[in-house]
Amino acid sequence: MPKRKDIKKILIIGSGPIIIGQACEFDYSGAQACKALRAEGYEVVLVNSNPATIMTDPELARRTYIEPLTREYLEEIIAKEKPQALLPTVGGQTALNLAVELSESGILEKYKVEMIGASLRAIKVAEDRLWFKDACRKIGLEVPASALVNNAKDAMRLCDQLGFPLVIRPSFTLGGTGGSIAYNKEEFAESISTALDLSPVHEALVEESVLGWKEYELEVMRDFRDNFVVICSIENFDPMGVHTGDSITVAPAQTLTDKEYQRMRDAAAAIIREVGVETGGSNVQFAINPENGRMVIIEMNPRVSRSSALASKATGFPIAKIAARLAVGMSLDEIPNDITEKTPACFEPTIDYVVVKIPKWQFEKFPGADSTLGTQMKSVGEVMAIGRTFKEALQKGIRSLEPSTPWRAPAETPDSLLREKLATPRPDRIYWLLTAMERGLHGEEICELTKIDPWFIHQIEELTAMNRRAASVTVETASKDLLREVKRHGASDEQLAQIWRTTPASVRLQRARYGVSPVFKRVDTCAAEFESFTPYLYSSYEDEDESDAQQRPKIMILGSGPNRIGQGIEFDYCCCHASYALREDGFETIMVNCNPETVSTDYDTSDRLYFEPLTLEDVLAIVEREKPQGVIVQFGGQTPLNLALELKRNGVPIIGTAPESIDLAEDRRRFGRLLEELKIPQPRNATALIPEEAARVAAEIGLPVLVRPSYVLGGRAMVIAYDVNTVQDYVAQAALMGPARPVLIDQFLEEATEVDVDALADGAEVVIGGIMEHIEEAGVHSGDSSCVLPPVSLTPAVLDTIREYTRRLALALKVVGLMNVQYAIQRDTVYVLEVNPRASRTVPYVSKATGVPLAKVAARLMAGKKLASMHLPIVKNNGVAEIAVREFYSVKSPVFPFNKFRGVDTILGPEMRSTGEVMGISTSYGQAFAKAQLAAGQRLPRKGTVFLSVNDRDKKHLAALGNELSTLGFHLLATRGTAAALEAAGIQAEAVFKVNEGRPNIVDLVKTGKIDLIINTPLGRESFYDEKSIRRAAIRYNIPCITTLAAANAAARGIHALHEQGIEVAALQDLHKSQAAASGAPASGD
Amino acid sequence: MIVREFSQITSNWRSSESAQLYLNRHKIPVIWDIDTRALVRHIRNVGALRGIVATDGTPAEQLVFEAKQLPKMAGLELASRVTCAKPYGWEKGSVEVAVSPWAEQMGESDAKGESYKHRVLAFDYGIKQNILRLLVDHNCDVWVVPAQTSAEDALGVKPDGIFLSNGPGDPEPIGYAIETIRKLIGQVPVFGICLGHQLCGLALGGKTFKLKFGHHGSNHPVKNLLTEQVEITAQNHGFAVDPDSLPSRDVEITHVNLNDHTNEGMRHKKAPLFSVQYHPEASPGPHDSHYLFTEFTDMMKEWRQPGSSRR
Repeated sequence: MPKRKDIKKILIIGSGPIIIGQACEFDYSGAQACKALRAEGYEVVLVNSNPATIMTDPELARRTYIEPLTREYLEEIIAKEKPQALLPTVGGQTALNLAVELSESGILEKYKVEMIGASLRAIKVAEDRLWFKDACRKIGLEVPASALVNNAKDAMRLCDQLGFPLVIRPSFTLGGTGGSIAYNKEEFAESISTALDLSPVHEALVEESVLGWKEYELEVMRDFRDNFVVICSIENFDPMGVHTGDSITVAPAQTLTDKEYQRMRDAAAAIIREVGVETGGSNVQFAINPENGRMVIIEMNPRVSRSSALASKATGFPIAKIAARLAVGMSLDEIPNDITEKTPACFEPTIDYVVVKIPKWQFEKFPGADSTLGTQMKSVGEVMAIGRTFKEALQKGIRSLEPSTPWRAPAETPDSLLREKLATPRPDRIYWLLTAMERGLHGEEICELTKIDPWFIHQIEELTAMNRRAASVTVETASKDLLREVKRHGASDEQLAQIWRTTPASVRLQRARYGVSPVFKRVDTCAAEFESFTPYLYSSYEDEDESDAQQRPKIMILGSGPNRIGQGIEFDYCCCHASYALREDGFETIMVNCNPETVSTDYDTSDRLYFEPLTLEDVLAIVEREKPQGVIVQFGGQTPLNLALELKRNGVPIIGTAPESIDLAEDRRRFGRLLEELKIPQPRNATALIPEEAARVAAEIGLPVLVRPSYVLGGRAMVIAYDVNTVQDYVAQAALMGPARPVLIDQFLEEATEVDVDALADGAEVVIGGIMEHIEEAGVHSGDSSCVLPPVSLTPAVLDTIREYTRRLALALKVVGLMNVQYAIQRDTVYVLEVNPRASRTVPYVSKATGVPLAKVAARLMAGKKLASMHLPIVKNNGVAEIAVREFYSVKSPVFPFNKFRGVDTILGPEMRSTGEVMGISTSYGQAFAKAQLAAGQRLPRKGTVFLSVNDRDKKHLAALGNELSTLGFHLLATRGTAAALEAAGIQAEAVFKVNEGRPNIVDLVKTGKIDLIINTPLGRESFYDEKSIRRAAIRYNIPCITTLAAANAAARGIHALHEQGIEVAALQDLHKSQAAASGAPASGD
Repeated sequence: MIVREFSQITSNWRSSESAQLYLNRHKIPVIWDIDTRALVRHIRNVGALRGIVATDGTPAEQLVFEAKQLPKMAGLELASRVTCAKPYGWEKGSVEVAVSPWAEQMGESDAKGESYKHRVLAFDYGIKQNILRLLVDHNCDVWVVPAQTSAEDALGVKPDGIFLSNGPGDPEPIGYAIETIRKLIGQVPVFGICLGHQLCGLALGGKTFKLKFGHHGSNHPVKNLLTEQVEITAQNHGFAVDPDSLPSRDVEITHVNLNDHTNEGMRHKKAPLFSVQYHPEASPGPHDSHYLFTEFTDMMKEWRQPGSSRR
């Protein structure tokens, strides 16, 4: 069927900020869909609140809106753009839910917008657990016995019928949020109440447990002609009970015979037809009883998903891209397979390698959170590894996770603890499995404890046996055959160095001597049956190399590895941009990364893609094969930077800022000296190894102080200490954690404003990319703070100082490319907190706000171009060049995963905990802030009741806020102290009980819906638990909760703007155009 | 069998013995731990090759020499070596992998409520058992007969339909089968698979040719030209029917391979005959093409109707 001609303009909804359960895989799928539809001649209108995405690049869609993903804003955009169709299936659950809302509220009908890719009915049948079960039963498929409940009483009655354990799943939540397993009545009662609360429709499914069964997923596609194909089968290493997003998964399925697999395939075809997904990709999850093969259907998603992104990367079959084409009426047999070019997309990929995905968790960021893995997803990212065997892929996957130190079981682990560690799935279970094997625990017992399929356990047994054999020789006495064999098992040089008590370099040397080096194989969708034209490669210790490296000028870009807090999609965005720019300039670009969720690992993004771990060994192997002119390390965050010096030592041509400069900026002592030379102030600071010393230097510096370990990523384990005891305790704790590493102690600048600056430099010239003012004061991690561009409260003198310092720093560090500086401004004094001569988290946000693609410009600078030749829209301020400031405000706000970690306090601090960000754009600062808050899930009220509870420092500055809120018509409630402070300023406020003061207290009021906005700044230890319960209640009942006074002031301005302005939307293309006109220069650096 | 890695253990609720024991029992050698992808690429580039396996240390040059002495596949008549010695009946239906209510409800078989069984004579050129099982599932009374069975003998038992099986080797030299099929066309409904399809092509006056490296595997897209739908099919053949060589007056092309556009199926415009190049019984492989067995039984039903074009 040819593509539809009756549609011209298509609206695509993105998935919003990165959160647990919905990460950059939807940027990958959305960007693919955009490109595919554009290539077919459609006009794409795109909406997403997340500025760090490739899909929101103004070049990608015809019209791009960075606006909150809510019904009101969508209606406004639809009214303005009048698209004929809406594609809701490439933006995750967010887009799907929003599309349902738009459809059910009559908006789509009103504006005559047709939903394509999935019908409302299909979405409802697939999403509503009961309808879905009915649909399955209707076609004779089995589902776990279950019932829906909407109150606790019915639920308790039900548990008597079904027996324990029981699975509880709230309806319509993301990534299994609020799901759990109950083993007894007490647990069940608690679980069901949480589940009902979290479900937007106050409903939950209670289900027979299939715990310990084998778990599978099929990624399937269907077109209008009813052609049906399976793209990939995925088997979960961890059996049922662990969310598939938290499971190690393997593709293709490893432990099914063809008969069993085909039965599953038939079932998937029957389901997609019954549910009525007419076109596009879906995934279907199955559980199989290992005892008798009984197969039950768990669920299906009528859209592209995290698994479909994984399946696309695992097979080379771009599911989202094809799904978009199917949605406009094309059929699978009309679409060519990109990789083979000569065969159609209507086929089932064959895989002649094994793919292993391993999730990445960060429980260390959320003290108090339960790290047991269950039906609710808790991982923040994932890695994928490709090997020719499961063993090789597993070991490559484990090293792709970049553990900061290799995992080791505590020497004295009693067997009982070991067994518990095996039986209860937690992030470290894979390591305990290896430990158990080394200890000689029997494979059968391990299977019994873990319920992991014996085949997988046997594979791991083979790995330990191999390592044991390796341990019987040394690096010098190892034969070539043994070395090759152990490398064929996937062992890294580093692992071997540990076994042989030597250095990875000497293992590498021995390999070079024997000629044991990896070859590169292609991912080609067809197991080599046809020639492939897309160099998508992975390493393996095999005979034949297929890399076919070219002689063209080429530049290699190192990606950022698995998503984690502090290092996520922003860096992938920068890597992609580097590749785009250098490709445009005629270089061959080579991407190296191991994160399957990203756009950078799309085979379309770069000329060549190496899906490999980002370790020295793996990167060197690629460099040896490709011999690139330059390697870029400054776009992928800390991961490639950690390799920079070692790569350089091994003769790799690093381009851009020298690794030595990057190192200097991270070395406190040397960097301190540099600042002195440059006459740039920084907070007083010192280091200490022992508590006594720490107490002394803290007193010298002057309290409060910021205390942190000497190695930092995303502000891990930082605290602000207001007294000497806290400092001493911290140092004592740090000493317990590991070998003597100094603790860093910095003067903490109270009530200071923090500022982020991104700048470009070519070694001789400097251009400021953007100056961002943080809305929360210093002390909140920059990644967790909202910020605004341009700044709203800084004086011209301060801004000029910032510009001048930035220029000095960039020149002193000989920056070529990007640099980020963090400043704190206290009483008009500008201090430098930190300099990172590399791409920062804020680069995509600044690029979207200014219309100048900073990462692209930086990549070109690294490749040798000069700023002067780039024709950037520059203005000169105080003699420093700066990208022209525009006539609108862009506010960036963070998004937190607190709803996934019950019991974790939500207060912001120096430790970064946000997973993603959103952006609000408006002509007024208040409106931009309100939009950003809304996009981040905090719907600021226009009227109602505000509860205030602030600490003593904030009480002094409360009057302005109180006045503003009163004027806006809010009723004010406050704790006694805060109420007194307000009354002292002549503002009426009603006093309410704290939690420990009597009933009804503030938490009761929150629970009964009497509060519309909470402003609660932390008081310190003594009332810690009281405040924690308020903030937890706020999250549970989804009431906006603001924890700093600065943000509260911004919110008041935002509410004011909501009263004045109403809903306004603007496309990036228009904003950038007006700005370019104003500055008289082209909007883009291209 | 050549694999990258050979599993040393079994892990499946249906397992009765290890792969190693099974292969030993059938005297099938296994080569593993080699770069199988390199081997595939080699065959893709140079075409299907004759090969030899040795473990006794014979020098490689000697082995290459010996391999070159092996007869080429083109011109090789193998059906007579693998066919059954005498006719036998087949009664077993499909294997159920696990108790599930849905196999029945999906209505895989037409058996429901029908007492009449179609008598099918299956010519064995190297037949796959799953074809027989599916015929049984589709309510057939199945008799397997040797490849050399004559048309007269076959028609003598008054079958409702003739099935022409898959099998190894070049179809062209199997003159006796081509002759037999020519006599059967129009006399009785005929359904052919794989080698059976190629033999039908030759019997209808067409030509066959050898493919460079054949079609193997379970993911070949085949378009049914009558319905415009694509089936994912299992295939295993080294020869193909040249569609241009078929008399267009009598023959309609029904299926085409989307990867290389070779012929995958045809039917006679007047006589009750159709055949496919791929394996609709697909075991291993997807079940997309099971409908052909229903078409076969429908064709037999229609042929039995009084007033049909039956002569």
